[in-house]
Amino acid sequence: MPEPHQEKRRVVFVAGSGRSGTSTMAGALRTLGMHVPQPEVQADDTNPKGFGEPQWVVDFHTELLQRCHVQVSDARPQAWFEAGKLAGLEPLRERLFEWLEGQLADNRRPEGGSELVVKDPRLAWFMGLWRSAALRCDAQPAFVTMLRPPAEVVGSKQKYYAGGGQGARGRAQGEVQRTAAWVNMMLHTERATRGELRTFVRYADLLDDWTIPLFDIGRRFDLTTVQEANANDVRAVHAFVDPSLRRVQATWDDVRVPARLQDLAQQTWDQLDLLAEPDGDVPAVHGRLDALRAEYAEMYAEAEAIASSTTLAAHREGLQTMPAPVNAVVKRGADRVPHAVRSIVPPKARAAVRKAIGRER
Amino acid sequence: MPPRGADIPCLEGDPAYDVRWAWNTDEPLRPGLTCVFRVKDEARNLPWVLPQMLDAVDHVVLVDNGSTDGTAELAQQIADDAGATDRYTGVAYPHRVSRAGSEHLATPPDSVHSLTHFYNWAFSHVRTTYSMKWDGDMALTREGVGVLRDLSWQLQGSGAVVAVPRHPIVVEHDRLAWIDLGSRFLEPWIYPMGPAFTYVKAFEWEVREFPPSSERVVAPEGMTIEVKWLEDDELAHWSPIEDFPPSRVQRKRREQEVDRAIRAGRAEEVEGIHRVESPDGVHVVDHLLTTWLRERERPLVRRAARFDV
Repeated sequence: MPEPHQEKRRVVFVAGSGRSGTSTMAGALRTLGMHVPQPEVQADDTNPKGFGEPQWVVDFHTELLQRCHVQVSDARPQAWFEAGKLAGLEPLRERLFEWLEGQLADNRRPEGGSELVVKDPRLAWFMGLWRSAALRCDAQPAFVTMLRPPAEVVGSKQKYYAGGGQGARGRAQGEVQRTAAWVNMMLHTERATRGELRTFVRYADLLDDWTIPLFDIGRRFDLTTVQEANANDVRAVHAFVDPSLRRVQATWDDVRVPARLQDLAQQTWDQLDLLAEPDGDVPAVHGRLDALRAEYAEMYAEAEAIASSTTLAAHREGLQTMPAPVNAVVKRGADRVPHAVRSIVPPKARAAVRKAIGRER
Repeated sequence: MPPRGADIPCLEGDPAYDVRWAWNTDEPLRPGLTCVFRVKDEARNLPWVLPQMLDAVDHVVLVDNGSTDGTAELAQQIADDAGATDRYTGVAYPHRVSRAGSEHLATPPDSVHSLTHFYNWAFSHVRTTYSMKWDGDMALTREGVGVLRDLSWQLQGSGAVVAVPRHPIVVEHDRLAWIDLGSRFLEPWIYPMGPAFTYVKAFEWEVREFPPSSERVVAPEGMTIEVKWLEDDELAHWSPIEDFPPSRVQRKRREQEVDRAIRAGRAEEVEGIHRVESPDGVHVVDHLLTTWLRERERPLVRRAARFDV
């Protein structure tokens, strides 16, 4: 049973596609006094100011993604159902609840915080699970979704994640897959947070003048730490937010994707962009995003149908790597005998052998 | 243009109560989840039930079956107050419906008096790709609202059906209730819309069909309570169950056992029954929905008894 507590509790979840400023947002909230559960993932060249990601959260999400066979940047609309099913598993719910309860401050744990910020690019897949855990902790969940134009996100991911070994075909495939994954992630992140306490922030706005979106978040989510931040905290955020971090400013001219996908991604961006306007989070925009989600699901189903031979070949290839008896269908006893040898055996004799071993056709 | 032929004409020959499925029209079903209530005299419970449901799903259809307590008017008012007028459909079904049990068994499935026809007619008003049945006395916790909200979009294209565990409570008075955590009632409530997912007649009541290939998902515990009031005769919508073997009516027998124990003042002797008392000024139903269930250790239902319906 949760410990009785006096202070109001808040958990702010920072969502959005990777390379969209989620780390900058989480870092700014932390610098203003919100608590990021420790230890955090170490900074590296791809994110020199740090990720703002609790290591426990990253490990937990990685485990869950493996369980439901979903990738961080998964373009399949169906992946949301697969990941969502985990939210019904009581042992997982209990694990997350206990961890979160342990992070929220009470009188005996001053090292925690009553206002937490949780950020991880994998977070979007499990928002239902997190919301349930927050509610069980008697904490108000709130969601910040970071927005960045898709061509910039894809360009940035290609630069920092793809590695140098890609050929021209691999690069083109990477750009198409990343664009599709961005559409899938953003359309469904919006749907998953609809009706919740939430806000949308453009990465460019955050870098141009972070005080405006952060002040709004503090007030909208009723965050004491942000609303009562002192001058030193503000100076520290100015030192932390570095406009030069937006190092990739690609456009569609720099990213080669099929026209239909580009058009859908652009329309998705246009609607999401409206959500970042004051009073822009309205049913008319939601309706257009619903239509885009349906269109994307249809487009993906078509692409799946076209590529089904590739999928089947990969499946069979995968089966062959499995130990018996999983691969028994692929490697029957007869398959171990070369065809040239098998063809020497007269049909009648083959039928008799089949009958003798109980494999008549 | 004359109305197209009925998919399930009713035995009594009244075209207004024939079933015409939405998927047989030119208008495609919209992605989303519709909740279908079939209610009679639920005005007392609706304020705990309907606002949360309007918050959770894309559309609500409420079929009023002869209420005399203003249920239909109150429901419309709640939908209007919630700004959900365009997401709410209220319709009336004036026919007397056979009670579950032996009375149902004796009623032809295509009669307007059959539970089977009543359900099919009610669900023929759904215009989304997914639908769920819900009772007018089933109230959602805040967590439950979130779970349904997620399912309303995550289920699209999955073909899965979802069972929702519910926890029966009996309210003795405004500050005292009894909750049954001694058994787990698991019944699929959420289904895709389509010809493979319609209602057919079973022995005691109706059942909704689904193909064996449909994945079955179980929603988490603690998302909904079923509110009964001790002063009401909650078992009145059942005809006698003695004709049915105990294995077929386990849930109803459990409800009878709990009801009798509370009335006899020995509820605490029944395994899995918990006394819930709310603080001053807080209704016990609100207390259960906002605090008690949230704070209760998981799993909520620890006893092995599980009734799959």
